Order: sequence, then C-alpha cells, then structure tokens
Amino acid sequence: MIEIILLVSSILFIFALKLFGRPSTAHRANTFAMLAMALAVFSAFNFDFSKYDSAFYITIVVSGLLGVLISKRVQMTQMPELVGLFNGFGGGASGAIAYVELSGSSLPISVVFVAIFSMGIGMFTFSGSFVAVMKLRGKLNNFNKKLADIFSVFFPIILVIPAVLEMDDLLMEFIILVALIAGVIRVAVIGGADMPVVIAFLNSLSGIAAMSAGFIVNSIILIVAGALVGASGIILTLLMCAAMNRTLRDVLKGGFGTTTINNEYEKDPISTSPEDVAIQLSYAESVVIVPGYGMAVAQAQAAVKELTNTLKDKNIEVKFAIHPVAGRMPGHMNVLLAEVDIDYEDMFTLEDINSEFSSTDVVIVLGANDVVNPLARTDEESPIYGMPILDVDLAKQVIVIKRSMSPGYAGIANPLFINDNAKMLFADAKEGLENIIKSFELV
Amino acid sequence: MEATFLLTLLITFLASFIGYELISKIPQTLHTPLMSGSNAISGITLIAAIIIYPEVGDSEILKIIILIAVAFATLNIVGGFSVTGRILEMFKKND
Repeated sequence: MIEIILLVSSILFIFALKLFGRPSTAHRANTFAMLAMALAVFSAFNFDFSKYDSAFYITIVVSGLLGVLISKRVQMTQMPELVGLFNGFGGGASGAIAYVELSGSSLPISVVFVAIFSMGIGMFTFSGSFVAVMKLRGKLNNFNKKLADIFSVFFPIILVIPAVLEMDDLLMEFIILVALIAGVIRVAVIGGADMPVVIAFLNSLSGIAAMSAGFIVNSIILIVAGALVGASGIILTLLMCAAMNRTLRDVLKGGFGTTTINNEYEKDPISTSPEDVAIQLSYAESVVIVPGYGMAVAQAQAAVKELTNTLKDKNIEVKFAIHPVAGRMPGHMNVLLAEVDIDYEDMFTLEDINSEFSSTDVVIVLGANDVVNPLARTDEESPIYGMPILDVDLAKQVIVIKRSMSPGYAGIANPLFINDNAKMLFADAKEGLENIIKSFELV
Repeated sequence: MEATFLLTLLITFLASFIGYELISKIPQTLHTPLMSGSNAISGITLIAAIIIYPEVGDSEILKIIILIAVAFATLNIVGGFSVTGRILEMFKKND
C-alpha cells in the first residue's frame, strides 16, 4: 500500500514539473506538487501515528502556520530574501537529520560517508544562506577577500586537525563548525549583484543535502525529490553564469566589482526632462522598457504599469526586455511585473528581443546598468567583456532613468549614457516615471 | 543489498535526467516561482525526520534536534508552496 502511494506521489511530481513549463498551466503544477508532497509525507508515517508525541505534531502545526503567515505577508520585492531563507532552512534540516543519524552510530560505513557529506553540505547551505539574506538586505558589505583566501588555503589543514588530535568525541561538532564557517566566508566575499548565482547555487545545495539525507534513511522519494531540486538549482546557476559570461568558480571566488576601473566620461551626458520624455514617447510607435534592480529598489512597478497603460491607450506598442541577471534572483523582474498585471507575453528574453532594438523607437532603461553596457561587445579590457547584453544602444532613442552617473556593479563607466541617441532623466525610477505620466496629461 | 543499492542509484539517475530535461524547458519568466517551488520540495527532508524520530529512544537532545529539522522542513513545505501559489496566480491569464 505504501509503495502504491509513493508511486502515485512520484508520478504527480513529474507531472507537476511538466505543467510548470508554461505560465498558463503552472498554477496547476503547484497543486500537483502539493498533493505529491502530502502523499509522500503521509506515507512516511506508515499508518502508525501513535509513535509520535504531541511535541512532534505541535512543531508541525506551529511551523506550518508560521509558513503560511510568512508567505502571505512577504512582498514580491523581497522574494530573493525569502528564497534565501528557505534555502537555509532546507540545508539546516538535512544537516540536522544527518547529525542525528551519525550520533546513532549504527550506520554502515558507506552510509556514514554520505551522512557526513549531507551534514557538511547542509550546514554550509545553512550559514551561507543567512549571509546571503543579510547581503540582500544590505546589512553586510563586502567581506575582506584576503581572509577568505587564507581560509581556503588552510581549509584542508583544518580538516585534518581532529585526526591529529584524536578528538573522536567531538568530530561531528567539529565538521559542523567548519562547514558553518566555510558557508559564512564563502558567501560573504561575493558582491550583491552576484546574488542571482549564489541563491541558485545554494538552492541546488539544499537539494543535494536532501538527496543525501534520502540515502541515509533509504527513502527513494526523498532521494528523487532532492535530486530534482539539486538539478533545478544547477540549471539556474549555469544559466546565470552564462548570462554574465563568467564561470561558477569565478563568481564564487568573489571580489568582483570591488575595484573601480575607468570611471571617467569623455563628455557630459544629455539630460532631459519628464515633459520632453512624454513628448518623445507620444511620437513613438514602439517602446521597449528594460527594468533592472533599480526598479525593485524604488518599488516602481505600479508606475511602470501606469505608463504602459498610458502608452497602450495611444496605440503605442510596449514590450519588456528582461536580462537573465536583472534583479537579485532568476526571474525577479518577471514576478514584479506580473504582480502589477503586466502580461507575461509582453516580457521578452535577451535572445528574443535583441534583434528588435534596431527597429525600436524608444527604449526606456529603468534602473539597469551593466546589462546594457555596450563595452561588453567592444572593449576586450573590460571586466564585462563577452557578457551577453541587451543591445539597447541600437535603438533610435534611449532614455535612461537613473539617479546619477554612478557606475553599476562592475564599477565601470557606461558609454551608453553619452551616446548620441541617449538622454538621461536623473531621477529615482518611481519618481521619474510618475513625472512622465503627469506630463502626459499636459501633452 | 548490493542490488537494491544499484537500483536506488539507477532510479536517482533517471529521476535527475527527467528533472533536468523538464526543468530546462521552464521559461525565464517562471524562474522565481521555480526556486520557491524547489524550496518547498527540499522540505521533503521532513520524511527523514518522520522516519527517524521514533528510533532515537530517550535522548532528549537528539529529539530536539529532529524537531528543529521538522520545523525548518515544514516551514519550507508550507511557506514554499503557499508563496509559489501566490506568484503563479499572478501569471494566470486574466480572461
């Protein structure tokens, strides 16, 4: 009977993944996955609910309620933090299970290694994720990279210490401590804009920790589900790295963008006013909006929607061009736009829209910087050289809404800003858009 | 014992392969809910906690550690699915 329930659960999980492939069917995928999860958890009790004390059930109910509460309250701009937090919980849970099983000490030797692996990865994910969350909240600046390098060099030596000192009793605790410190240091050196990669990577690790926990308790469904999470995280990690033309190793090494190189401009940019932008837009036939992290920071989504409506009412075509690493996690911009009811069919990926820029009348760059920097195509010396960018400089007119000329994460000047076809509207993303909308009423 | 272990490995491999193929097809637009959904699924460690809880005997410390794992895993499952559902509702077509 248990086997049949688990079989149904596995099939539901696979179906859920299949349905997740299209935005229009994805909400059903969630229902399927929930059902699969409920069956899997139910089957683990093996129809014997009396073996568990009230503390066990109370923990489930209380944390379940807390989960609902958090998920209802979280704002869409905070999704990177929430996913980061959940990555940490997932890793912590698997690490804790592995620790308990290792303390039981009746495991076959092959499983002991898997358990140590699960414990190490789990604890690394746990501490690393909390540092990632703090970075996302801006509570932590770039950590001294030298310290991390020293730690990495001595890491193998630290691992041998317990063997040398014959500290068998505290071996597990020692491994946990080292894994926790490694997580903190590894993530602390990585800059905020590399967080899409870090979050996806930690997401993958939380799955790998769960998968190895499955080997410890010999549960196939746990192994399979863990493997799926691990695979999904790896896919996203590699996509994000490819979108920045950097290797995972290079990202995890950290320290990117901490040095400011060539930050000078040859001439002053042309600055513009909300009124001029409104006039320009009203003569356009096609407009592409490029959102970046600045849109999320300024909470400008609602203003974006309002401007979109204004333009569409005038029969102007509006599209959104979203770079894979825009924002602080994969798909961050898409969710913020979907929240204000912007049709996902108007959101385009880099590959789909890049050929269209040359025939676009006006591009509005909203709080994005490095992902539209033409140096990625032309300057071999530049740290972002080779990164696939949105070719907005090819459009007829570009309007950059930005508070100042300050460089983006890569710490380099963006020649787009002084291009002949570009104008700067110096404002916060939300305020800038609202002023443009107001000016429309006067045009 | 050996045969069971190999079978488990085979299933793991096949599942990862299917997972990789299907997940690769998920569009960029859905990457955020994909991650929060993965969070929910990684909470499946709850199963391990359920399996080992009756086996730890009288050790209060180990029981507490398992309960911490239960709390984390349940938070992930419930919170993860709930927030993913909330996001996916936004992507539903407004007919």
